[in-house]
Amino acid sequence: MRTMDETLPSFTADQPWTRAGVSRSPRRLRWSRETLIVRGLQVLVGLALLGLWQLAASNRWPDPVLAKTPLQTWHYLVHSASSGELWSNTRATLTAVLIAWVLAGAAGVVAGVALALLPRAERVLTPYLDAANAMPRIALAPLFIVALGINTSAKVAMASTLVFFIILSGARAGVRSTDAEWLRLSAVLGAKKHQVFRKILLPVATPAIFAALRLGLIYSLLGVVGSELISARNGLGQLIAYDSSTFRMEGVYGILILLAVLAVVLNQGLGLLERRLLRWQPPADR
Amino acid sequence: MVMTAPQPTTQRLPHSTPQISPQSVPQASQSEIGQLEPERDDAIAFEDVAVTYSTPGDDQRPVLSGIDLTIPRGQFIALVGRSGCGKTTLLNLVAGLVEPSEGAVTVLGQEPRAARRHLGFMLARDALMPWRDARRNVEYGLELRGIAKAERRAIADHWLEAVQLTHAQHLWPWQLSQGMRQRVALARTWALDPNVLLMDEPYASVDVNTRLALQTRFLDLWQSEEHRTVMFVTHDLSEAIALADRVVLLGGGRILDDVTVQIERPRDLGAINANPHYQQVYERLRGQLF
Ligand SMILES: Nc1ncnc2c1ncn2[C@@H]1O[C@H](COP(=O)(O)OP(=O)(O)O)[C@@H](O)[C@H]1O
Ligand SMILES: [Mg+2]
Repeated sequence: MRTMDETLPSFTADQPWTRAGVSRSPRRLRWSRETLIVRGLQVLVGLALLGLWQLAASNRWPDPVLAKTPLQTWHYLVHSASSGELWSNTRATLTAVLIAWVLAGAAGVVAGVALALLPRAERVLTPYLDAANAMPRIALAPLFIVALGINTSAKVAMASTLVFFIILSGARAGVRSTDAEWLRLSAVLGAKKHQVFRKILLPVATPAIFAALRLGLIYSLLGVVGSELISARNGLGQLIAYDSSTFRMEGVYGILILLAVLAVVLNQGLGLLERRLLRWQPPADR
Repeated sequence: MVMTAPQPTTQRLPHSTPQISPQSVPQASQSEIGQLEPERDDAIAFEDVAVTYSTPGDDQRPVLSGIDLTIPRGQFIALVGRSGCGKTTLLNLVAGLVEPSEGAVTVLGQEPRAARRHLGFMLARDALMPWRDARRNVEYGLELRGIAKAERRAIADHWLEAVQLTHAQHLWPWQLSQGMRQRVALARTWALDPNVLLMDEPYASVDVNTRLALQTRFLDLWQSEEHRTVMFVTHDLSEAIALADRVVLLGGGRILDDVTVQIERPRDLGAINANPHYQQVYERLRGQLF
């Protein structure tokens, strides 16, 4: 018999990873140029929006009460930051956001995985879950405030009702995308239940859970601020409520912008973590 | 029915595979994989086995019936049959994933589930896990068995080298070609040192050249040791004859024919269809397959 290397296509000839761009440095270079362009354009869009705002305010397009310029808003932010008011309220809001996100997130992951694994329970509970998720949650805010008091717990409870369902459906969908062949293989290899959970179900569900966690973080922010708008002792939502009731619109704008910046920063932070944890995915899926 | 059957082990000619020497193979120790029952000579026995699936509308759907099949240890048996004839079901019986409705299946003298730790399993889709790189895919079964990290590494190293993928060990599955993925799956299977290998159309999804290379690699590995029984499922008759000691033809849920292939090993897979015996077996089975 001739040896395999003479007669057959060599194994080492197929090297798709050279195509796929695994070689690190050129890829990183390409990415960083793309990143530069994107960042540049982002700054331009931001400047354009600011310009439009300035134009609208100085031409008094909206009602004079509403017409505050970017500069007035900036002065408000600087003033309120130096007095410490901005920082303490931001901290109050963010604390509630993170608590709700972590607690409801963990509960949502557990519930979502459980529902994916228990089809009968899922069939029984689905109409109730759908109904609960369709409820306008802001209507619950007064209820939580009465039940829990005007404090962080009420904010957390409010935000949790939003976050829980988002994470639940993400985790459930994630687990459902498990390939039956992995389970078949694992069964034959003698995998125990906890091994299947840790080594198959959890990694399979991770991308979907992460997508849900990112969305959940934003909804946590919305829930907390919504609760603060209705009634709170502190927090950015409470500041907005106060400023708008006294017609300090520059304060309202400033805090809205601050909230938007917070949302972007939190989201980007999670994105970094996600890219690290999901580095096994082909770039197109990330 | 059977065309004279010399013992499969006597057919094998001595030969060398440079990369693989059985002596150097690090393997899970006996205490981890358990003891075999030494006195049994049959690897797998089906005794009058029938399988009936119950479908949603309370329908009973007979898939296999009256299957009597005994597979001696060390035999390379191929099961051929049209798609849907129950080949996968037959493998699932051996793996304990499907229970027979009638009859009994014995694997290495044991009930199938009890014998699972001696099984290797390869599927048409390689079932690589995308969140594990090539090396950690090879280590998967070892991890499940609780084999210590250092030993796992040594075993994976060995088998990655045997399938010529040492250079690709840290790549993610999406970075591998189909052929490379199947080789990772092969290394993963072999790393567990299985006594019985169940292969369910493992090369159905690769191109012709890659398939030939994979088949050759597989036969080399198999011949480098004596004790592994192979149950190879395929719908490709020529693949079955080229690889196996014995070809069993399934149809209508029954065994239609059972032929011993007397082509000496090592076989030159690229030229095997010129072999007169190959052609004879092919003609005999082809008539019943189509
Ligand atoms: N779990 C199942 N439930 C019901 N019918 C099944 C099931 N698995 C397989 N079948 C049916 O049994 C027959 C044999 O299937 P299979 O063993 O997969 O065939 P093959 O592998 O030869 O293509 C097919 O008709 C298939 O539809
Ligand atoms: Mg099949």
